[in-house]
Amino acid sequence: MIPFELAEPKSLTEAIKLLAPDDAMVRPIAGGTALMLMMKAGVFHPTRLVSLGKIEKKYSGIAAGKDGLRIGAMTTLSALEQSLDMKKLAPVITRTLRTLSNVRVRNVATVGGALAHADPHMDLPPVLIALGASMSIAGPSGERELAVEDLFTGYYETVLQKNELIAEVRVPSQDGTRAAYMKVTTGSADDWPALGVAVALQSDGNAVKSARVVVSAATSKAMRLPGAEAALAGQRIDDKILARAGEAAANEADFIADVRGSVSYKRELLRVYIGRAVRAALESGAH
Amino acid sequence: MATITDQGTAKVGAQVGRSVPRLEGRDKVTGRAEYTHTMRLSGMLHVKLFRSTVAHGRIKSVDTSAAKKLPGVAHVVTIEDVRKVIPDPYYGPAFHDQPILADGKVRFVGEPVAAVLAADPHVAEQAAQLIVAEYEELPAVYDEVEALTSKVHVHDVLKPAGTFADLKHLKDAKGTNLALDYRLRRGDVDKAFASAAHVFEHEFRTQKVLHLSFEPHATIADYKDSGVTLHTASQGPSFVRTEIARLLGWPENKVRIKVPYLGSGYGSKLYIKLEALALALSMIARLPVKVALTMEEMFYQITKHPSTFRIKSGVDKDGKIIARKCEVYWNGGAYADIGPRVTQKSGLTASGPYDIDNVWIDSYALYTNMTPAGALRGFGVPQLVWAYESHTDMIARALKIDAVEFRRKNLLREGRPHPTGTVLKDAAIEKVLDRLVERINWKQPMDRGTGVVRRGRGLGIAIKAVISPTTSVAIVNVSADGSVALYCGTIDMGQGSDTAMAQMVGEVLNMPAESVRVVQRDTDVTPYDMGTLGSRSLFHMGHAVRRAAEDAQEKLKALACEVGEPEGSNIPIPALFVKKYGMQAGNVIGTGIYKPDYVPPAPGTGLSSNVTPFWMISGAGAEVEVDTETGHIKIAKLISVLDIGKSINPKIVETQISGAALMQLGFTMFEKMHLDGGQVTNASLADYKIPGFHDVPTAMENLTVDVTQSNGPFGAKGVGEVSTFCVSPAIANAIDDAVGVRLMELPLNPESVLRALRVKAGKPLGDE
Amino acid sequence: MTARTIHFTLNGAPVTADIKPHHNLVELLQTHFGLTGARESCGQGLCGCCTVLVDGRAVSGCLFLAVRIDGTEVVTIEGLDAGGKLNPMQEAFVETGAFQCGYCTPGFILMANQLLDAHPDPDDDQIRHYLSGNLCRCAAYPQIIDAVKLAAKKRKTIAA
Repeated sequence: MIPFELAEPKSLTEAIKLLAPDDAMVRPIAGGTALMLMMKAGVFHPTRLVSLGKIEKKYSGIAAGKDGLRIGAMTTLSALEQSLDMKKLAPVITRTLRTLSNVRVRNVATVGGALAHADPHMDLPPVLIALGASMSIAGPSGERELAVEDLFTGYYETVLQKNELIAEVRVPSQDGTRAAYMKVTTGSADDWPALGVAVALQSDGNAVKSARVVVSAATSKAMRLPGAEAALAGQRIDDKILARAGEAAANEADFIADVRGSVSYKRELLRVYIGRAVRAALESGAH
Repeated sequence: MATITDQGTAKVGAQVGRSVPRLEGRDKVTGRAEYTHTMRLSGMLHVKLFRSTVAHGRIKSVDTSAAKKLPGVAHVVTIEDVRKVIPDPYYGPAFHDQPILADGKVRFVGEPVAAVLAADPHVAEQAAQLIVAEYEELPAVYDEVEALTSKVHVHDVLKPAGTFADLKHLKDAKGTNLALDYRLRRGDVDKAFASAAHVFEHEFRTQKVLHLSFEPHATIADYKDSGVTLHTASQGPSFVRTEIARLLGWPENKVRIKVPYLGSGYGSKLYIKLEALALALSMIARLPVKVALTMEEMFYQITKHPSTFRIKSGVDKDGKIIARKCEVYWNGGAYADIGPRVTQKSGLTASGPYDIDNVWIDSYALYTNMTPAGALRGFGVPQLVWAYESHTDMIARALKIDAVEFRRKNLLREGRPHPTGTVLKDAAIEKVLDRLVERINWKQPMDRGTGVVRRGRGLGIAIKAVISPTTSVAIVNVSADGSVALYCGTIDMGQGSDTAMAQMVGEVLNMPAESVRVVQRDTDVTPYDMGTLGSRSLFHMGHAVRRAAEDAQEKLKALACEVGEPEGSNIPIPALFVKKYGMQAGNVIGTGIYKPDYVPPAPGTGLSSNVTPFWMISGAGAEVEVDTETGHIKIAKLISVLDIGKSINPKIVETQISGAALMQLGFTMFEKMHLDGGQVTNASLADYKIPGFHDVPTAMENLTVDVTQSNGPFGAKGVGEVSTFCVSPAIANAIDDAVGVRLMELPLNPESVLRALRVKAGKPLGDE
Repeated sequence: MTARTIHFTLNGAPVTADIKPHHNLVELLQTHFGLTGARESCGQGLCGCCTVLVDGRAVSGCLFLAVRIDGTEVVTIEGLDAGGKLNPMQEAFVETGAFQCGYCTPGFILMANQLLDAHPDPDDDQIRHYLSGNLCRCAAYPQIIDAVKLAAKKRKTIAA
């Protein structure tokens, strides 16, 4: 790696001040597992990194409240994986984390980093979008609220300004939600996914009242699939409905080809996995 | 007689056939085993390479000025600088075709063009990014079949090294990409095809994959005018010494090659790799210089050969194969490396373990504009078996003959001539097939499923000749206290050879294998060995080690006689030395050399009455589950059955069998270097996936048949590659059995399977 | 770039090192302390060859900036055989032959110990799942499962 300066601010406010609104070579670093890869690959040469490792402790904890969970952005993925509050509120997140990358990465990578990095292959964003999670984003002029589904604008791109930081993630109460996340690999079993599908259903037995369906990995960003959601809403689930939802999803998602599969193949995968994910969600029981 | 044991005269028990824990185990589990990649010498400079971004082009300019100005940079080196210290800077085992740094032309993306030297590796990296090169791009050739007739020529003139007789006719050849054409002619295939009841013709392809040993390539060169020492991650220090001495114009005794433990090799660290470059840079810097690759850079060092195999068989009305024609195209990449040997040595068994009267084999080594290809755990044989065992199944299926019955009808049996003319001996093909059929329950019906998931099973069998003729030398040194050290050049890169060799010494000298010290490889100390490759070491070096131990034994007996001990004396060794020298002093040195008999294949026909000292035989069986909606394959069971003669160390043998089978499973199911205009687009472990825990089949069996290799050391022969041979066709045959689709190209990834299923259903997937 | 001094505990002993912000933990261990048991292979945190324990948790040393080590407790493979006695997991790896070339072995041993700390009596699935982030190109996976089970037994015997 090529030399750079490292700043270690003691507070979030100080960190924001150290970031530069117009300089792409100054970036925040949390767990660093993703950023280090980019630096080692020579695709990112920072002049200064602003480490978030020493900011206030309140940004790395999980708090349960009446309306859901508040997760500090610096919370590690393994802390989230082991959180009993998380498991109670949304076991789908606990299950997802269990197969997210590996133990060493989860010990270091943070929730905020997993969102801000905006790699479409990551597992957490589609699940958070399906569960209707939101974020508090801190910038020079204070904090703003944003739904996770509005964060991503494209491949490794977000609406975040260069001097903004995700401070906290909020997962609302999930009473009666049935959710599942399925990832499909086409290389080794531990490959990055060729496709991720997250679904969260409000349902009465087999009868779906409303659905949130999210695709990731096969597309340039994690995104909801309104056509598939509409095909499921108000329906009693059977093979025909799932086929219709799969068809809608296959038609509306904007696939990208890569070493993990062609557009045609990923379309077929999504068509099949919409149904598999909905069935898995129904079988998972309500949160 | 004198008995070498410091435990009195008690027989210590059999050493051969015992699962002795690896001698180096403690060093490896404590993290203290030394590897070249993590070694440091004082004052050492680090190197970062600047590599070509074009596949084929003339170098117009290389601007190193900005790199040279960066504080901390010691040298920036191009071929002009290299030429000042090594006037003819070309190397290679078969052809002297590879320049130490690109010389006027670049021939593949990733070829080293310049090298930056600095004490701080980060500085070297930063400086390398400041180098700018301009190229005049030339048309490139990537496909091996196209390369045979292409007007694009990777090399203007061919330069055989002179080492191999069958390459001499290619000296100074121009206007060709052909680096070797091996042919075998037996009987009259055209006549036989004309008389055959059925003729089948298929084409199979394999993809570009690589070894990806976890210790990336690394060499440290320490040049002094009085001599040079190289610490290097090499599978063949003797060859490295010869080649370095040739480049320097020095006698070999001024060149010292030291090899610590190897973070494996699988064929990638054979012959000469980074050593020539490290030498040149150390000569220029006049300091120790370390060249160590990153994992990404390994994609530009050496790979397996992609291949195209056109195979045609004529079968009579009774299901007997009467003719087989094999045309094999090996994609050798930009430099020949050992490709011509892969082409010949594997080419001669391209028709498989079958008794066929009329055989025609053409095997072509071809230059292309890609990363060079070399040996990878099987020396080309896995590519061949993939094709001929898929083909065999397709014929049986078409003729509605049971796949095992069809094989039995055509099996090459003991005492019959192989197509080369060499009579088959100690090749338990039938026993291997029998055991496989039993373990996979071939005769019992199988539940093939009815829903989305369908099941099937398949198998394959294979034969390989060992690389021949090759030489090994060993020394056994008995010290005056009775302790024994073994000096041999075989590199233990994880296959457990040190332990196996110590067991053979212990067996002869009647002492525990654990007490034998196997000396680290150092060409100043350890004698010649051709190389650790092609499953040859246990047989060749095993014989040399056995002979060295026997020689030591004889000399001890003579010593006992000389000091007046009676015939059959049990005098302990230390007492024997004291009796001779009056104190604890002296040594007894036993030496052993082994080179098997060999008759080279006749030019033109490829025939030989003795083409190999032993045959390697294996079979594999697979049970698969196919997800018909997505094409995903689950391997429910993978069975390997091998003829390896007698097992020297059963536990290590088992690990070798399962490890090699799992490696081939990766090459079969998903491993693939993706290339775009010669550029590797997945050069990292993030995008080039290898098998992990979850890819291991639900059930694995790793079996050997109970046989003896009559001319092998203690009845044994090699095992390292043998379980790779049949994995790919066994799985492809099982997929066909499950869902009735036939895949002709590796890897058998989910998308390939689904595409084939959709074609079969008349609803092909689009090309997007 | 500015060098800085960090203080930490390495295999039980307090130590100090002068490092730069762009150095990673593997470099720190190799260049300052001559410890080469954690070694960089894939360089992407995927193979596990560079596994190190920081404050009791496994991390990939190749992706971990050395500055973050300041004030922590670091344990490497070299810290496991204190006094020349192998750790039960190390013994089990030797006895079951759970490696070939040995390059990935230190990482596997450290991770497998973490596994047994969390699940003292793991079944095959738990072992596969927990260790799935470590890769072995020699593919000694079946033997590694045997080793972890043997080590679990050894640890129980010691505890009893």
